[in-house]
Amino acid sequence: MRSLLMGGQACVLYGAAEFSRDTDIVTVADAENLRRLQAAVEELRADRIAVPPFERRFLEAGHAVHFRCQLPGAEGIRLDVMSKIRGLPDFTVLWDRRTTLETAGETIDVLSLPDLVVAKKTQRDKDWPMITRLVEAHYAQHFAAADEKVIKFWLRELRSPAILIDVASSSPKACQSLLHERPLLQHAAAGSEELLRVALREEEDAEREADRHYWAPLKSELEQLRREHRRPRE
Amino acid sequence: MIDMRLLVGEEWAEWYSMTPAQRLEESSKLWQTYLELGGTLDPEPDPQSPFYDPEEWRAFTAHGRAGVRLVRRGGI
Repeated sequence: MRSLLMGGQACVLYGAAEFSRDTDIVTVADAENLRRLQAAVEELRADRIAVPPFERRFLEAGHAVHFRCQLPGAEGIRLDVMSKIRGLPDFTVLWDRRTTLETAGETIDVLSLPDLVVAKKTQRDKDWPMITRLVEAHYAQHFAAADEKVIKFWLRELRSPAILIDVASSSPKACQSLLHERPLLQHAAAGSEELLRVALREEEDAEREADRHYWAPLKSELEQLRREHRRPRE
Repeated sequence: MIDMRLLVGEEWAEWYSMTPAQRLEESSKLWQTYLELGGTLDPEPDPQSPFYDPEEWRAFTAHGRAGVRLVRRGGI
């Protein structure tokens, strides 16, 4: 089955820390892969625990399908499956960009860090400190050998004012080249931490609003599905 | 280069410096402790999540939940 780990567990692997109680994966919603996912779900003795039903059309529309495992050893663990995420390209692209980790003899395919950061730009308060930690951790791990691609990733995604100012001052050309994409870099380049904080907050607010807008029709659909699900059968 | 220990504190700087496998292991230890203390895998209510269903939470809390329970409340 082709799927990528995302959510809190992926955050832990990259260097943030989230006490996540579920396993979130993104997967390709083609017939063959969903057949394999169905087999995996059965192996985990996982029951679907909420709407929508486990159907391709809901995954393709951007919904998440939620399961709870009953297999001893994985008992109680929630599994949330998505195949479309706001701001991210098709699964095939995500798959090509994935990170693969090996731990305890197991291979784990994880959403790439830049993709995980985009996936975390949601309407929820708790996701924003996570983005800060994810990019900070990457900076702490790679500052000694950062190439232009890495520096540009930091300039696009850092949310820690002091580090952003540091990167902007040490890489002025890269910073200048991204000003049109992220105007708040002008405050980083000028070393103005106060203005940068305000601009970062505005940037976050705009993303949160965009996420609410993206989810509005999906939430209506979920509410409709819940009503149908709860309606007593005649 | 910024000194990460000064910026984020010793604990975070140490966490950042671990390998993914080390973080996974440390995280697993925390989980084990949490579950041994009676913690539950049930999700926390998250009204900001697009998946949040208030009806589901009303039904859930009406039945109570296993796991950690308060036996003595300390003063403030």
